[in-house]
Amino acid sequence: MSSPESNVQQPPYEPKIIGFLCNWCSYAGADLAGTSRLSYPPNIRIVRVQCSGRVSPELVLKAFHEGADGVIVLGCHIGDCHYIDGNHRTSKRIPMLRQLLAYAGIEPDRLRLEWVSAAEGERFATIVKEFTETVRELGPIKRVMVTG
Amino acid sequence: MLEALRKKIQEIMPQVDGVIALRRVGKGTAPHLFLPGDDLSELALSPQFPLPTPVRIIQAKYPDKRFAVVVRGCDERQLVEMAKRRQIFLDKLTMIGVACTKEQAEYCRCEMPFPKQVDIGETVEGIPQTFLDDFLAKPREERLAFWKHAFAKCIKCYGCRNICPECFCKECVLEDNLWVTSGTVPPPFPMFHLIRAMHTVGKCVACGECERTCPADIPLTILYKLLKRDVETVFHYYAGADPNEPPLMDSTIFLADMDMLHPPRR
Ligand code: SF4
Ligand code: SF4
Ligand code: FES
Repeated sequence: MSSPESNVQQPPYEPKIIGFLCNWCSYAGADLAGTSRLSYPPNIRIVRVQCSGRVSPELVLKAFHEGADGVIVLGCHIGDCHYIDGNHRTSKRIPMLRQLLAYAGIEPDRLRLEWVSAAEGERFATIVKEFTETVRELGPIKRVMVTG
Repeated sequence: MLEALRKKIQEIMPQVDGVIALRRVGKGTAPHLFLPGDDLSELALSPQFPLPTPVRIIQAKYPDKRFAVVVRGCDERQLVEMAKRRQIFLDKLTMIGVACTKEQAEYCRCEMPFPKQVDIGETVEGIPQTFLDDFLAKPREERLAFWKHAFAKCIKCYGCRNICPECFCKECVLEDNLWVTSGTVPPPFPMFHLIRAMHTVGKCVACGECERTCPADIPLTILYKLLKRDVETVFHYYAGADPNEPPLMDSTIFLADMDMLHPPRR
């Protein structure tokens, strides 16, 4: 979407998405999507973390603050976490952060949490596609906060 | 009430090494450690001041001593959350429970103005938290504008954090330039305030001290209480209820179905 009030040709809005992927399942899932030559939007920039439980609220908020239009956190399915219960924390933290974003007036759908195993390359590609479209509809993060 | 409290303290004093309570200082009050034989004429109940932090400091200094502390409902629940994180030791602490008056409860908009065991005062009912629903009735854009306006008043005095009995970390992320840019006032929305809000999850007992302390009158507890309500309804975790339960984040409670939490859609 280019801004109507300017004559200068603006590049169309392409959402910037930061993905925090856990090393043991989801990153391997993304890898599988790659080696299987599945296509998914290039909007996602992946940050590999040791466990989804590592993704503190600060990290997510900082990503938004630095201009990410969407943040997605991917971890192992419950029961499969390499650190046993790291993703139990994730399953409390990220949904609560979504609540907080909504209470503060920021669209909660800019943040998403999913479980993706190492065998789910296709699921990874589908989720990234879906999420990119969601964030595209929500528009730039600059509408809700000053970034940078 | 004060007279009854004085009696109770006199009664308990022989069994403990000291009693942590409030003492009248000028027009206000301050935490005080009353020792056996001390004059109790300056004992006070209000204006209230949270006593859990003084308990933490005194217990750290005298780990072998046994103390009693005068607690309201919020103090008691805070002590429980602190004990779960090894900040205070309940086995060396005797609680003297005070039920808050109706006026006090209204002033604090308190949902539960009494401790588990009430030694002093008459229990009154909690105040319904209808203002939370009123707040949520605003559409999203209005909520955003509300907080942008409110947080723009922040002078980053750290008062909210300093007064909070549940904020006891030795290193605070709010002081880390990586997360909260130093040297700017107000702190850029939303880093400072949303980080602090997230760090209250599962610990905040909604005492309201942060909000009362805030020199800019920012209604912080709206956010914290909304989060607290979600923690209660979805995770069935009640901050301060049970010292034998692990802290929310350490527990193996997880959200089986991500649709169990519904952020407001408008
Ligand atoms: S209401 Fe404020 S001061 Fe009281 S426990 Fe919650 S965050 Fe801390
Ligand atoms: S007490 Fe109020 S002004 Fe001070 S840092 Fe907290 S929110 Fe900002
Ligand atoms: S290792 Fe994948 S979520 Fe913990």
